Amino acid sequence: MIRLAGVTVAYRGRAVLSDLDLEIGAGERVALIGPNGAGKSTLLRVVAGIVPPLVGRVELGGQPVERLGRTAVARRLAVVPQGVTLPFAATVEEIVGLGRLPHEDPFRGHRPADRAAVAAAIERVGLGHLLGRDARELSLGERQLVLVALAVAQAAPVLLLDEPTVHLDLRHQVEVMELLADLNERDGTTILAVLHDLSLAAHFFGRLVALDRGRIVADGPPAEVLSPDLVQDVFGVAPGFVRLAAG
Amino acid sequence: MSSRLRLQLASLLVAVALGAAACSEVVPPASSEPPPPSPSSIVAPTADATPAAVTIVDDEGTTVVVPTRPERIVSLTPAATEILFAIGAGDRVVAKVDDITPYPPEADRLPIVATFEGVDVERIVGLEADLVIAGGLDFTPSDVVVQMRGLGIPVVVLYAAGVDDALRGIELIGEAAHEADAGRALAASMRAAIGELAGLVADAPRPRTFYEIDASNAIYTAPADSVYAEMLRLAGADPITTDASYVISLERLVAADPEVILLGDAAYGVTAEAVAARPGWSSMSAVAAGAIFAVDDVVITRPGPRLVDGLRALIAAIHPDVALPPG
Amino acid sequence: MSAASLSHALPGLARRRRPLWIALAGAAALVVVLVLGVAAGSVAVAPADTLGILGSRLLGLDLARTWSAAAETIVIELRLPRVLTAMVVGLGLAVAGATFQGLLRNPLADPYVLGTASGAALGAAIAVVLPVRAVVLEFGLLHGLAFAGALGAVLLVYRLSRVGGLAPLTSLLLTGYAVGSLLAAGLAMAMFVSGAGLRQIFAYLLGGFDAASWLRLATATPLILVASVAILARARALNGLLLGEEAAAHLGVDVRRERAIMLALASLATAAAVAVSGLIGFVGLVVPHVVRLLVGPNARLVLPLSALLGASLMVVADLAARLLGDIPVGVVTAVVGAPFFLAILRRARAGYEL
Repeated sequence: MIRLAGVTVAYRGRAVLSDLDLEIGAGERVALIGPNGAGKSTLLRVVAGIVPPLVGRVELGGQPVERLGRTAVARRLAVVPQGVTLPFAATVEEIVGLGRLPHEDPFRGHRPADRAAVAAAIERVGLGHLLGRDARELSLGERQLVLVALAVAQAAPVLLLDEPTVHLDLRHQVEVMELLADLNERDGTTILAVLHDLSLAAHFFGRLVALDRGRIVADGPPAEVLSPDLVQDVFGVAPGFVRLAAG
Repeated sequence: MSSRLRLQLASLLVAVALGAAACSEVVPPASSEPPPPSPSSIVAPTADATPAAVTIVDDEGTTVVVPTRPERIVSLTPAATEILFAIGAGDRVVAKVDDITPYPPEADRLPIVATFEGVDVERIVGLEADLVIAGGLDFTPSDVVVQMRGLGIPVVVLYAAGVDDALRGIELIGEAAHEADAGRALAASMRAAIGELAGLVADAPRPRTFYEIDASNAIYTAPADSVYAEMLRLAGADPITTDASYVISLERLVAADPEVILLGDAAYGVTAEAVAARPGWSSMSAVAAGAIFAVDDVVITRPGPRLVDGLRALIAAIHPDVALPPG
Repeated sequence: MSAASLSHALPGLARRRRPLWIALAGAAALVVVLVLGVAAGSVAVAPADTLGILGSRLLGLDLARTWSAAAETIVIELRLPRVLTAMVVGLGLAVAGATFQGLLRNPLADPYVLGTASGAALGAAIAVVLPVRAVVLEFGLLHGLAFAGALGAVLLVYRLSRVGGLAPLTSLLLTGYAVGSLLAAGLAMAMFVSGAGLRQIFAYLLGGFDAASWLRLATATPLILVASVAILARARALNGLLLGEEAAAHLGVDVRRERAIMLALASLATAAAVAVSGLIGFVGLVVPHVVRLLVGPNARLVLPLSALLGASLMVVADLAARLLGDIPVGVVTAVVGAPFFLAILRRARAGYEL
């Protein structure tokens, strides 16, 4: 589904990603982990076709991503960013409704099918009680859920998430993880999520990809990836707790 | 359809056609020489039932047709108001421009349709004006002139840069108002009077004369090619002039050492005593000799029938010893 | 009470129908305002006569002529083009304002934010100062140079903003401010040397519909209408930009292309409006906000409703300006718009991090 071959991305003379090879098959659920500055967000942007690589190929569903039009990419791939700013007041439905942009009729806007998809996404993410509220007045965690609902409404076979649990309390973190699991297992959505919480990653994801200084240093099931040596090397933390998470 | 309406439509078509033709040219700048007055600028009356149509070329080079004797004239310059009354067309003027020094008194009864802020075209149309005399160099905004012409009203735009222009303007207004003879007569008598007055002082010594337009901030006097300078020369003076900015520095003025100072801003309360008391002015010959005189700025520069009076006033101040003929 | 909770007070279905009611009310208001605008002026024309003139000339009704030819000329040749010009200019400025606010993601943006006003003013001032007079199609050199100046300023800002490391939106805004200041300095210089022409420059700066005519209306209207319709056709892209350029790209918007196209279209509408009627402010800033308060940020609703409201507002402002003693329209819009603007500022301060 997603294929990166020999991808190098440089920014102002500095290599952010170096000679990266990655393959994610359809229906996989992958967590991307690594320290700050490892290049995780950049990797997501490359997959989404926002950042063109200096060298290398990026393929989505077997097609080179730069060949696909932006709308075509948007129909195949949805992104939950870390945070956005909103210049005008907008209700929760209006923001989630933006997820239908790649599908909607350019002149007539939302049709009943679009409205249904929006309502379903709001329900699925558990935001039904926030209908009609101004998005700018919500708590950080609620706003993050709104962005997740937006991506769900987009109904794309691939879902990329950049630190979706940052502002969430434990209960909501688990809820989002369970939602991702549901999307993956029931709908077959391919998921690639950047996570900073190793225990969440280990618990909910069958495959972890560890990124360090622009290179993939490990790729596999959590027990394998979260070896004491790797955790020490990559994260610089004593690995005492790791066994508990992986178990 | 009444014959009057038919005439109006005909004049509308003609004016629009001429206007459209004129509008597509690039008009030369207003500072270029205006064409000399020529009797051939009047077209001979057409032979049939329609009354004589007058065709004139105004000071912007636009050809304007005044198809019938105008009965509802609107004057948009104070000079035009004075001229219209002077040539006997005053009873046919229906509206005028606001004037801080209105003249003649008979014009006081007229409604004001233009002020510094703008021209009320609606009222002009409401008064069914059939001739408008407007001021050039955007005294009357050119947008308004275009608008009125677009509605079929003959608009004659005048701008007088000097005495000859003023006299020609008088003749032009006379032609436009279908009072060509009166206009020519007035201009001729004025030309004669001006010539006579100028002749009285032509050989007299010419005192260096400073004409103060305003001195409340910077000192303002006139450029060498202005009507001020021309009038002063006709009055037998040697005018102290400046460049196109109208500003003269006190240093230059002191160096020029005027022998006569004329206060064009006397109407704003400037007195000879106040001038003499100004710091740095006491060195001027004019101040020492007490040769500081108040003059009526309007009469000296307005390109209308009182220009002769203006010249008389100038000569009286500059050459007080010259006996003036009865005015 | 926030806008969103206002809408929450109505059940879902009623809210969806609200834009239609607002549009109908807006259209009705426009017609009323048109008749009012044409009925008032310095020459008294009886209301019955006004309606009669409109009916016979516009609708072709066969009515007994109880009015004079002068009254008909005044209503049809002087007032009607003036009112229609005000409508078209108000429409154009409101749509341009809504577009710039959406493009630049800044609620304080107005049609003049990228130096358009300064460019137009400088162009007009240069036309006054130049010792050349040219008149083509009732458009003097002033209108032509004002139009060119407005577009030239935007082009300059766009080109200059591409250089440098700032985010494109921030760069545009800051460059617009800088270029605007530079052009304003040029304007001050031109005014300094203008001498007798100063009055004319000032009249242009204050803005107004005094010199409206059918020909000018016919020239400006296609530009403004075509630009506005073209922007409306791209409403999808404007909506996508609500959450930012990157989010828009994720939603399938070709951000660079759409931004360039919509900037050009909105600037075209603004330049045409400004060339015809001078610099009239606050309409382009305030109208989109009022509309968003009523129907939310969806550009498909905001653009056409802003057009309606902007048109009506401008006619009312012109009417008020005329009735208050022929004061400049810009003064009326400023006096009415400034309190609105302050209210918007207070709301904007509430912050908008998501």
